[in-house]
Amino acid sequence: MKSGSTLEKVLASGKPAVTAELGPPMSADPHEVVHKAKLLKGFCDAANITDCQTAVVRISSIAAAAIAFQNGLEPVMQMTCRDRNRIAMQADLLGAAALGLKNCLCLAGDHQKFSAAGKLKGHPGAKNVYDLDTCQLVGMLKKMRDESKQEGGDPLEVAPKFFIGASWTPMGDPIDFRPINLMKKVNAGADFIQTQGIYDMSLFRKQMEKIRNMGLHEKTAILAGIIVPKSAMMLKYMDSSVAGVSVPKEMIDRMNKAKSAAGEDKKKMRELQEQEGIKITIELIHQALETPGVKGVHIQAIEWESAIEGIVKAAGLYPRPEV
Amino acid sequence: MAAQDTCDLTQPYRPYGAEIKETRPYSPCRAACPAHTDVQAYVGLIAQGRYTEAFEVITAPNPIASVCSMICHHPCERSCRRCGIDEAVAVRPLKRFAIEQAKEYRRNKRKLVAQNKGKSVGIIGSGPSGLTAARDMADLGYSVTLYERHPVLGGMLSTAIPPYRLPREVLKEDIDDVVSRGIEVKTGFEVGKDAKLDDLAKKHDAILLAIGLSLSRSLNIPGVDGPNVLLAIPFLEDVAFGRDPKLGKKVLVIGGGNVAMDVARSARRLGVEKVEMVCLENEQEIPAWKWEVDEAVEEAVKINYRWGPKAVKRDGDKVLGLEVTKVLSVFDGNKRFAPTFDNNVTTLLEADTIIITIGQMANLAPLKDSSVKADERGRVEWDQKTQKSSAKNVFVAGEVVTGPGSAIAAVASGHRAALAMHLFLQGETIEGKLPVQEKDSINEMPKDVLEKICKMPRQKVHHVEPAVRVKTMDNFEKTYTEKEALAEASRCRGCGGGAVVDPNKCMACLTCLRVCPYGAPVVKAWSEIRPDYCQACGLCAPECPAQAISMVSYDVKEIRGSMTTTVGCVDSKRTEPLIVAFVCTNRLGVHGADLPKNYRPFPVHCTSRVDVLDMLRAFETGADGVAVVRCGDRNCKYEKIEPRVQARVKRGQELIKTLGMEPDRIGILPAASSCGEFSELVKKMGLRVK
Amino acid sequence: MIVGSQKPIDEIWNMVKDKDKKKVLVFGCNTCVAICHAGGEKEAETIASLLRMKASQEGKQMEVSHMGVMRHCEPEYFDNVIEDVKKYDMVVSTACGVGVNFLSDRTGTVPVVPGINTSFYGAVEAPGVFKELCAGCGDCILHLTGGICPIARCAKTLMNGPCGGTNKGKCEVSNEIDCAWYLIVERMTKLGQLDKLGTVLPPRNWATSRDGGPRRISLEHIREFEEKEEAKAGK
Repeated sequence: MKSGSTLEKVLASGKPAVTAELGPPMSADPHEVVHKAKLLKGFCDAANITDCQTAVVRISSIAAAAIAFQNGLEPVMQMTCRDRNRIAMQADLLGAAALGLKNCLCLAGDHQKFSAAGKLKGHPGAKNVYDLDTCQLVGMLKKMRDESKQEGGDPLEVAPKFFIGASWTPMGDPIDFRPINLMKKVNAGADFIQTQGIYDMSLFRKQMEKIRNMGLHEKTAILAGIIVPKSAMMLKYMDSSVAGVSVPKEMIDRMNKAKSAAGEDKKKMRELQEQEGIKITIELIHQALETPGVKGVHIQAIEWESAIEGIVKAAGLYPRPEV
Repeated sequence: MAAQDTCDLTQPYRPYGAEIKETRPYSPCRAACPAHTDVQAYVGLIAQGRYTEAFEVITAPNPIASVCSMICHHPCERSCRRCGIDEAVAVRPLKRFAIEQAKEYRRNKRKLVAQNKGKSVGIIGSGPSGLTAARDMADLGYSVTLYERHPVLGGMLSTAIPPYRLPREVLKEDIDDVVSRGIEVKTGFEVGKDAKLDDLAKKHDAILLAIGLSLSRSLNIPGVDGPNVLLAIPFLEDVAFGRDPKLGKKVLVIGGGNVAMDVARSARRLGVEKVEMVCLENEQEIPAWKWEVDEAVEEAVKINYRWGPKAVKRDGDKVLGLEVTKVLSVFDGNKRFAPTFDNNVTTLLEADTIIITIGQMANLAPLKDSSVKADERGRVEWDQKTQKSSAKNVFVAGEVVTGPGSAIAAVASGHRAALAMHLFLQGETIEGKLPVQEKDSINEMPKDVLEKICKMPRQKVHHVEPAVRVKTMDNFEKTYTEKEALAEASRCRGCGGGAVVDPNKCMACLTCLRVCPYGAPVVKAWSEIRPDYCQACGLCAPECPAQAISMVSYDVKEIRGSMTTTVGCVDSKRTEPLIVAFVCTNRLGVHGADLPKNYRPFPVHCTSRVDVLDMLRAFETGADGVAVVRCGDRNCKYEKIEPRVQARVKRGQELIKTLGMEPDRIGILPAASSCGEFSELVKKMGLRVK
Repeated sequence: MIVGSQKPIDEIWNMVKDKDKKKVLVFGCNTCVAICHAGGEKEAETIASLLRMKASQEGKQMEVSHMGVMRHCEPEYFDNVIEDVKKYDMVVSTACGVGVNFLSDRTGTVPVVPGINTSFYGAVEAPGVFKELCAGCGDCILHLTGGICPIARCAKTLMNGPCGGTNKGKCEVSNEIDCAWYLIVERMTKLGQLDKLGTVLPPRNWATSRDGGPRRISLEHIREFEEKEEAKAGK
């Protein structure tokens, strides 16, 4: 075992792994983390604790992960390259390990421009760091863990034992380069991969075929990303505006149909769409797990953590294995 | 502009950009002019309604400018690059227009020049070269005496050129300009008779012999001697002095040159119905200018081409006619004059009076018993490098040494001789210091540029009808109206007046290259704007970010320099907005624009020359609005101007907006007629408080 | 070249409006910033004109002139005007930041303020369009990326491939920005060198960039020669 984390163990057991996502609050109040952790506990093997997602300031991933951990939920701490240089990164990683955290997902991070969205002012004028990129962060983490060395070469008496993850956008532009992109992350040391949300399963399967041909599925555990759709509007937005995500037309139609079944009733409209969304999610989970080379699913119910229980149960992934 | 206090030969009136022009190839018109008159400069000034300045440019190198405005053979026009597009710019008629506009100015300007050199010069002969040298020497501070054989000054201009071509009051203006400097005039003074040349050479520190070619050549054929066979010069002198020479009913003029035309056309004006000419040449070879031939034919003068005079047939004193032989050719293979005849073909050209006009020669009587030598063929010996004769202090100028030529060529010769005398009198060597006559000229218009230039027909010069004009000796050509002159002047492509780059400022940024519609700039270490391509539109100069480009003629920076004075003091109690207008002079014309009183016009060669900075400067001086009055794209004589002008106006609008002003205070007006409307618009925005 | 853009006139006015600033010079630089129409002699005159009008609007007595030299970053270019420059109460330099710094060191007690914002090292993509292409990082890797710089042209300076934000070849920051990695992949594919992009580039040494402190390059062979010549002249 590299880290001894539950996620690592589940994957080692050969059973499909399930991860979920927990977004920390924009406040110093720990209770929301505790609350969300309780919602997710038992229905996933580990939950990603986002690192100032969309560059919005929230409780830090490490702190929130520690709270979740204390409340019985295994966290996957996230670390973006956006906000820290290699000194801060390593310091935080050592600290996270000292707090008992065992999984770390390495990300480039959304550009600070995204922080000013909707009503938020955010910090679009922040300076980004990008001392390292994702591959380099993965490599640094691996070096710390396996060679007990800091990036600069200085020794670490006690190495941080992380199960190292990286994100992957299988269908992003330029699509032919994406398998190479994954290869680089794997070669740098990624033990597991969580993908961008997948709706177009046939296109994903084509990319997975390339991955299998490269043998990458043997070197890393790929968890297919599933973003729980809430409405037709959300699907349309994801299709048109989120990089690397395409949503098949039939799926949007299906959601629209659910919406129109509610007539003029706004509340019912939402409920019916949510129900349809959960159905779609379950289908996507099954299709993903049937795809050769896929070792699990990463289910993101954004600001809707309460949905996870039902989804995991309905997908036949409950109870989670004891490892 | 103010008249200059002292006129130094080395510093005559300099139009804007004159210094730069000296370092660059001349415009073809200027290079072609023997006196190197800056044609482009004065035509440009006329286009802007700046007539007195145009007058200064015209007269700076030419003391007989009025004369030239009537009779010049205008080599400038023949070399005009517009010839490749449609027709040459009508330079001579424009010159005449400008000079007439400046009449009062010129008269008020005349004044004595101080004779501070303490040396005197005697000039023998008061034709074009003599007058030129007299003016130059007087301007340099020498005391000058003009000796003239005839009772009036002007040489051939007064004694031989018929008044219908050159009204004497026109000539008088030029002569008055020269004489008013304080020149002593001795008319009716025959050197050789009234005083010996060598004595005059002792009396004066230098003498100029500018006696021209005042004797007519005659023919050595049977029957030539006797009554009713006349020589050209005495005939023309009779005409000039109104002595009414006796002619028969049928006059035959022998010769095909310009003097022959003068003789024939004068004969018509003396009431002779039947005037014929006979010449060796055919229609193409005839040496007279084409317009002279055309006008003579219009006046019912018949020209017999390719006949050579063989004998005058006469019956005692009565002339019956001229027996002529058919000419086979006039020139040999080397284009030298070598006529051949077919002696088998002869005919008789009937006439009762014959006037021989086959050329002139010098009258060397003044040289008799003097130290000035002449060769066996009757030509004065001289040194071209120094303008000197064989005598120590006797100089020569004009046709007496150059041979027959034009008035303006004699002017050039007069300048050379004056400079030579000046150097001599100042004890300097002359050789190598006299100016080179041949100047580098801008190349022909490249083909791809020619294709981009729209045709604009030449303004017609109106003549009095032939049937009417032959009844008097009055001049028959009408001066351009102002409207015609402005339209004609705006046809000029401004050769040599275009863009020039200061290599000390240019950093080769390619802006001009991108802007130029004619592909004129070549950018290497710095930009070089090729004068043969440049059309002087001015589009590039305001775009240059380093201000490295200036326009040789009527530069953009001149607008900004004169803004304060033109706008003047802004009345704080004004009720109408003060508007600075940059007015395209193309076709619209300066005066043609007829702007409202609250407008302060800046005539521009093209609105492409208007800089954002000019607009800002207008507001700085207190203007309430800025109007860019365009000639309209259909009339525009340049390419691709409009979008750039619009872009500049837009930028100007953005900039004034940053100062809290309404952007619409700057506007592009399609025509002067929109001025009132724009004025109202600005008025609504309010009058600015400075 | 260095690309800049003019500061708004109000911002410049706030720098010069002090009561004791009576004579102001707007000093243009005729190289890089002239090419991008931000601070050449012409734009210096534009700013001068606007300042004069602003002063008049605000009722302040102020004399504003303009001038330009070829470059503000080599002393020889302004040596012969520096004494004139010092006669002003304030200099608005429309040179890039390099020029403002450099001139500030040489004007004694006369303050030099910036008239433009220095933006980036770029090229003229089309007349009036300037594009950032280099970041001056001090350790060029363009041979590895098909001549397209990920340091200057990727919003995240990623060295090992695109992030997940590439959308139809554009950057997640703006759809007006090309994704550098999209271009790199396209270019390397065309060059038949896509395999080169498979290698993970290790963390780079940013000490060669600004992070190593202000940089200075000293060419010993030229410096030593100049010093020797100076010493000779001193004798």
